[in-house]
This record gives sequence, C-alpha cells and structure tokens, in this order.
Amino acid sequence: MEEVDKILIHSLRQTGTDIGEDVESVKQFSSELIVEAVVRCLRVIDPALGNGLSPSLPPGMSARFRLGMSLAQACQDLGYKGEIGYQTFLYSNEPEIRSLLMFLVEKLPRESAETSDQPAGKSVLLQKAIAAQIKAQLALPWLPPSCRLPLHYKTQTPGPSYSFHAQPLSVPYSLKGSSKKQPKEVREYYRDYLLPVTAQPSQPISVPASLLENHASELSAAQEWENEWNSQGLLTRLTPEEYRSRKRARLQKRIEEQLRSTAQPRPDSHSATRSTSDLAEFLNSFGGTSAGGNVLTKGTRFTHTEKFTFTQEPEKAAQQMAAAANSLPSSHQSEEDLKAQQQEEISGLQQQLQQLSVQIEEVGGEMRQLTVSISQVSDELKQREVRNTEKEDSVRVKKQTIDLLPDAENNLVKLQSLVESSAKRVVHLASQWEKHRGPLIDEHRRLKELCSNKEMESSRMLSEIKDLHDKIRQSADEAKKKEGLYKQLITEYETLPKDVSRSAYTMRILEIVGNIKKQKEEITKILSDTKELQKEINGLTGKLDRTFAVTDELVFKDAKKDESVRKSYKYLAALHENCTQLIQTIEDTGTIMREIRDLEEQIETEYGKKTVSNLEKILEDYKAIRQENSALAAKIREG
Amino acid sequence: MAATDTQLMLSVGLIEKDVNADTLWVWCFPSVSAELREVLLRKCCLTQDSNELHTFVFGQFCRTWYYITTVEVQEPTVLNKVTHFSVIITAKDFNPEKYAAFSRVLCRMYMKHGSPVKMMEGYIAVLTKGICQSDENGSFFIKDYDVRKAYLAGSIKDVVSQFGMETIILYTALMLKKRIVVYHPRVEALLEFTRALPALTWHRKDWSILHPYVHLNDRELDNLRLCTGYVAGFVDPEVSNRSDLFDVYVNLPDSEITISQSAKETMAMGKLHKEIGHFIVQSAEDTDRTDAQVIKDISVKTREILTNLVSLAEECENSKLTLESLKQRHFPPATENFLFHLAAAEQLLKI
Repeated sequence: MEEVDKILIHSLRQTGTDIGEDVESVKQFSSELIVEAVVRCLRVIDPALGNGLSPSLPPGMSARFRLGMSLAQACQDLGYKGEIGYQTFLYSNEPEIRSLLMFLVEKLPRESAETSDQPAGKSVLLQKAIAAQIKAQLALPWLPPSCRLPLHYKTQTPGPSYSFHAQPLSVPYSLKGSSKKQPKEVREYYRDYLLPVTAQPSQPISVPASLLENHASELSAAQEWENEWNSQGLLTRLTPEEYRSRKRARLQKRIEEQLRSTAQPRPDSHSATRSTSDLAEFLNSFGGTSAGGNVLTKGTRFTHTEKFTFTQEPEKAAQQMAAAANSLPSSHQSEEDLKAQQQEEISGLQQQLQQLSVQIEEVGGEMRQLTVSISQVSDELKQREVRNTEKEDSVRVKKQTIDLLPDAENNLVKLQSLVESSAKRVVHLASQWEKHRGPLIDEHRRLKELCSNKEMESSRMLSEIKDLHDKIRQSADEAKKKEGLYKQLITEYETLPKDVSRSAYTMRILEIVGNIKKQKEEITKILSDTKELQKEINGLTGKLDRTFAVTDELVFKDAKKDESVRKSYKYLAALHENCTQLIQTIEDTGTIMREIRDLEEQIETEYGKKTVSNLEKILEDYKAIRQENSALAAKIREG
Repeated sequence: MAATDTQLMLSVGLIEKDVNADTLWVWCFPSVSAELREVLLRKCCLTQDSNELHTFVFGQFCRTWYYITTVEVQEPTVLNKVTHFSVIITAKDFNPEKYAAFSRVLCRMYMKHGSPVKMMEGYIAVLTKGICQSDENGSFFIKDYDVRKAYLAGSIKDVVSQFGMETIILYTALMLKKRIVVYHPRVEALLEFTRALPALTWHRKDWSILHPYVHLNDRELDNLRLCTGYVAGFVDPEVSNRSDLFDVYVNLPDSEITISQSAKETMAMGKLHKEIGHFIVQSAEDTDRTDAQVIKDISVKTREILTNLVSLAEECENSKLTLESLKQRHFPPATENFLFHLAAAEQLLKI
C-alpha cells in the first residue's frame, strides 16, 4: 500500500498539486487536498472539463456541496465505474479515495509516450532539439520593436544575413605512415607560413561556408573512393597506387582524344583556324612523350590546312567580287538588248555543255577500255609469273637429272639409297626431337593447369574479401549507431529525475508476482485437498446410509421374534440418530465460524470509514447550511 | 606421275587441344611459317568458341592448299591430357579426297602410337614412295587419287537445282573472272558448294581461284585481293556489308544472288545469256545425265562461244580484238559488252 501511495503522490505532484513533504499516504489527505488533486488531474486529462472547477474548497457550505457534485459528475463523465457523489470529496474514506485517485492517475495522458519510442540516432536528436528551440521561440509572443527585450533580439529582429559563399581552403595533410614522406619544404610551409583555416578566406563570414564545403568534398571523395575500390578496384588485383595511376593515365588519354577529334579543322570553316591552331599547340604540349613524330606531322597538317583555307579565302573573295561585278546590271542598256544578250549567253552555254558531255562520254569510254585492258594485262602478268616459278622449279629438277643422267643406273640406285638413308636419319632426328618436345609440352600443360587453379583460388578469395569488406562496413555502421544511441541514452538517463526509483518498484513487482504464484499453488493444493475430503465424506455418508439400511432391515426382520434383537434395534436407531445430530452440530459450528470471520472483516472496513467523524461533520455542515438558508431567506425578505 | 604428285605435299602439322581447353600447335614437319600457322590455327575448329567438330576442312592461302582433319580422342589411348587433335597437311594441289584419306591414316597412327614420329614415317613414305602402310584398312596409294576426280567431285547439278536460271549469273561472273563471295554459316555446306563452281569454266581447269574458307581477317583479305577473280566462301554474315570484296554475293541459306552496284554494268546480260542459262538448266534437270556429263555439255557450249570470239579476233591485226571491230558486228549491247569483257578475260583484247 505504501508504494502505491508513493506513486500516487508522485504523479499528483507532477500534475501540479501542492502536496506537503510529510504526507506519506492517502489516509492523510484532507478534503481540500483531495479536491485540489482531483481538479488538477481533471485539468490535465481534459482541460475543458477541468478549467471550470476551482481547485480550492470554497468556504460556503452550499458552494462546497455544488463543487462536490460537479466533481463527481466530471469523474463519472470520464468513466469512473464506482459509486461517487459529493460525499466522496467532503466526507471521504480511504479506500474510495484511493480507487478514485488511481483511476484519475491512470487516465493522465502518458507523458512518457514521447520518450518510449527510442530515438534513432544523432541526427534525429539534433532535429528534435531544433524543433524544440523553434517551438520555444514561436511560443514567445511577438512584441513591437520598441518593447523588445534583448532576449527577443535574436529571434524577432531581422539581423544581417549572409549568403553561402565558399572559398577553397588549404589544409595540411597528415600522412599516417604512408610510404612517401612529405618534402621538408612542404612541412616547413605548413608549419610556418600556412594561415590557419579561420584566417584563409578573404571574409571571415565565409569561414563556416568554406569549412562545410571542404569537409563535404573530402567526405564525398573518401566515400566514392571506398565504393569504387570495393567494387572495381579489388577485381583488378592491383595495389591502390597502381590502380590510381592507371586510372589517371586512362583518363588523360581519353581527354586528349576527345579534344583532338573536336579540334580537327573542317576545310570550310574559315573562322575557326586561329582557335584550332591554338588548341593544336596546346594538345601537342599535352600529348607528351608518345606523340613524338606525330606531333610534327600533325602540326604541319594543321598549318597546311590553315594555309589552304587562307589561300582559298582571297581566291574566293576575288571570284565573288568578279561575279558580283559581272552581274551588276548596267542601267544604260535597254530591255530588248538585254534580252538578246541573255539569249546569246544561253546558247553559248548550251553549246559548251554539249561539248563537255561529249568529252565526258569519250573519256568514260576510254577509261573503261583502259580498266579492262589493265585487268587483262595484270591477269596475264600473274599467270606468267606463276608459270615462271613452276618452270624454274622443273628446270632445276631437270638440270639435276641431266647431270646424273650419264650414269643413270648407278645414280638411280645411289639416289634411292640416299633417299632411304636421309629418310631414316630424319626419322631418327624426329624421335630425338620428340624426346625433348614431349616433356616440354607436358610441362606447359601442367603449368597451365596450375595457373588456372590459382586463378580460381584467387577469384574465390577475392569474393571472400569482398564479403568481409561488406561485413566490416556493416558492423562498423552498427557499432557507430549503437555507440551514438548509448551516449544519448546515458545523457538522458542522467537528466532523468531520481526521485522515483524504478528498479525498486520492479523488484517489488517481481516479488509480488512470485508470491502470488506461490499462493496460487497453495490455493490449488488446498482446493484439491478439499475436493478429496469432500469426496471422502460423500462416500462415507453413502456407505453409512447403506449400511444402516441393511442393518436396519436385517435387525427388524429378527426383531419381530426376539426381544433382545428388538432392544438392539432400538439402540441402533438411537445411535444413528445421535450421530446424525453430532455431525449436524459440527457443520453448524463451521458455518458460524465463517460468519464470525465475515463479520469481523466488515467491522474492520467500517472502522476505516471513520463514519463517526464524518457524521459529526455532516451534522455541523447541516447546521451551517440551515443557518445560511435562514440568512438568505432573511436577506430576501428584507429586500 | 607418282613422282610429281608426291612433290606436291609441302608439310604436315599437328594441333592439340588439351584438358585445360588450351589449343596449341605442337608439332610440324618440315616447317610451317608463322603466318601460315596463325591462319591454320584460325581455321582449325578447335580454336573456335563453339564446340562443333568439323571433321574435314580445306582451303587455300597464298597458293597453298591446306587440309585439316579433326578427331576427338577416344579411349583407349596413349594420349593423356589431350581431348582433341587436328592433323594438317599443306600441299600445292587441290585434291581434298586424297588428302582426307591420307590424314585419316595419319590420325589413326597418331592415336594409336601417341607419337608424331610414326606420323612422320608415314608422311615420308608417301613423299618418297607414294604409298603408306596403314595398320587397319590396307594401304594408302597416292595413285588412287587423280586430280580430275577431285575436279569433278563437286555436284554442279545441286548448284543448278538450287539456283535455277540464276546459275547464269555465276557462269557469267566466272567467265569474266569476277569476284564471287558465297556465304553459309556451316563450313561443310560452303566447301561443298564452292568447289563445284570452277567447273563451270572447265576450259581453264583453274581451281586456284577457289578460296573456299576465308575469315574476315586483314591478312587473308589482302591475300584474296591479289587475285583478279575469285570464288571465296565465308561463314561470317558480316561479309554482306563488305561490298568492296565482291562483285557477286551469294547468300546460300536464302538462295539469293546479288550483283554489287559497281559490277552491274559489266555483268549486264542479254539474249545470249538467256539462251545459255536455259541450256544449263535443261542439261542439269535431265536425270539421265551425270554431273560429269553436265559439265561436259557446259564446256562444249563455252567452247562454241570462245571459238566464235577467236575467229572475230583473227580478223583484226595481231589476232587481238578491239572494241571498234566488235562494234562493227552490231551485236546487241549486252552481248557486245559480254564479248568485250570475255576477250579481256581470255587475253584476246588489244591493249
């Protein structure tokens, strides 16, 4: 009960009820305190309901009575199931008050609902802090400029705002055990001459912007490198430095190619020549070592086309001018002359055209003839060449045969033997070569197999490495998150009020639960015992009845004849009667004992209700009301 | 003669594919130039990604004929770690049957003994004596394989039955020494078809124009360009975009013949061609006549035309034909054009 009271008092204190330090339990609540507590709870639960009620008991009896009634009504509106009326507040008793207060406290909106959903990380915290700040600032009422306190200056006057202007910063690199050392000059520069970051930008206003940009760019560069390395870099099985240098070379080549292709001057673009020659020079310097010879030729090609386009320009211009001059109509001549002139021109041009077409046809025919004869001649040439080589070969063979001809028979035999011996020799050489070749080929195959096995191994290991990388990253992320969460929770825990110790409560609750379990077990045992006993009793009673009936019959049969049997029958009946009476008495005793226990409990509760003091109070209040009534009646009568 | 025949063989080589899926040129005798080796590795089906085995493939490169026989190694064998191998024979003459039989013998030898030395012995035996003892089906006699039989082995009837009247385009192209490109995705079909085409110009008996298996590789194409007229077979469908390589393009699976723009003028055909075309088709459709007889008929017809042309040429000085003298005959323009170019091809034209 004490713990319950403590929790109740604590919650009531949180609603704003002013409960004194020495008040330990609900028994010590006075009516004023009860009323205040209930009203404050109602205000928190339902402001509309509670705002109409005053937390302090008015002095007048009728007013008190009215307040009590409205409070009771309010509580019933909220859903309190128990019996409630003005008497609960004015003439209170402990159990009723306790249950009412527990109901109200439960109805209080859970302020812990906000903190129960665990915050997910630092950014959410930051956002919540920002939201809280903004809410607080918005809660401050707007004041006209003349009335503003310094507190409001930050939030309500439009201060100077700066645009986000970031400037590049120079930050010294810290090398953690990398293979190349920073040259001494660089270190000296970093140590003695490089300005601190806050002094580097031209305006101090841009410092935060520059810092943010610098940091963001470094962070994104590191992340991108991570991603690229994990996805592509590992597959190439190079070290990071090699990979980077290869990538750089590749990109440089691509840029060069692109620039060259777009810088190729087209022959009809006159105006672009100057810019392209500049670009060509730049490209040549960019091309570096590989483009050695090409640089020169490309250079000359550019200059050639340059010259070509330039020479074309004055030519074209002259032509255009001449054409323009010719086409100027001389206004002196009359229309007819003009027409005749034009006709002459037309006929002249047509003649020219005809001549040209005839010429073209002739030339075309000649060309065909020539191509055909070229093909014929080249064909003949090829055939002759082939025949020549064949004839050369046959001449050679025949010459040798002729040399051998004088001594035909012998030479033939000699030749045959020579052929056989050389054949044998060649075969012998081949077998020797085979002895060398075989092992070499086998070795080659074996090494190839090893190589492919190693490759499979390495690719398997690569995939394992990738998996490990992923796992590492995941675990790192999780660890970071958990650490953040932990720090946050620690700070929260420290800021929590320590007056109510949760652990004590949880221990007690667990203890109580354990006790209840034990009690439940005992109860079940007792119940089962009781059942057993009851069964036994029933069985025995049944047995008794049956036995008595049988004995009764038996004895009665014989009782008609024998006197002693009649007497024993009388004794049997009396015994049975007495025993039944005895059992009855025992049962009655048990019932009465139970009744006594119930009545004792009722007496206890009645005592708790302090009915006597309440009755006295009621009598007094009744008297007060009567007095008020008469006073009011007198006032009315007076006027 | 056996003696000259044996001098036609140039070399024998061996390519192996092992359990590492590695294809190597492992042995050759007497020697094969690096360039030819590269070409032969490309032609060998073991280097190609697909797992198809082409048992016998032949072709020409730089006036050298090569014949490749590929065999899968069967158990039981002395060769461990080898899954397939190819035997390549290079020679100066065109005779697929002869070299196919010979290389089969060599393959069996190699499979049985596991050493190329035995192969070499057989090769030298054929080189010196013209005969090779084979362990299984008797001996290999070089005499059994006459070159005429090789020329006539292609089936001209199949060509005519596939293309009908369009065969005249092929005839004209061959007569005028034009460049014909044939495409078929399967090598065997390509070889079979292209080897029959030079038979249409039987009077020349020139199979050196035949390049039945060419890849779109610079070196091979350069070699091809050295010939004025050729019949080239490709398995790569990209060749249809290479109009610089052909005057006539034959798409074998679709049975289409196209004449390229640049050659349309010279290949113009008229009444004479129609006549010849009909004749060819008629002769081929006659079921009683064999391939050899059909070829003979066509060659007779060709000879008619050529004697006509020669007689025309004799009337001119130096017995060389000129365009003017041709024009005097007032032939129809297509015939005149054809005869003019034919004279150039037969070297009867005055230069």
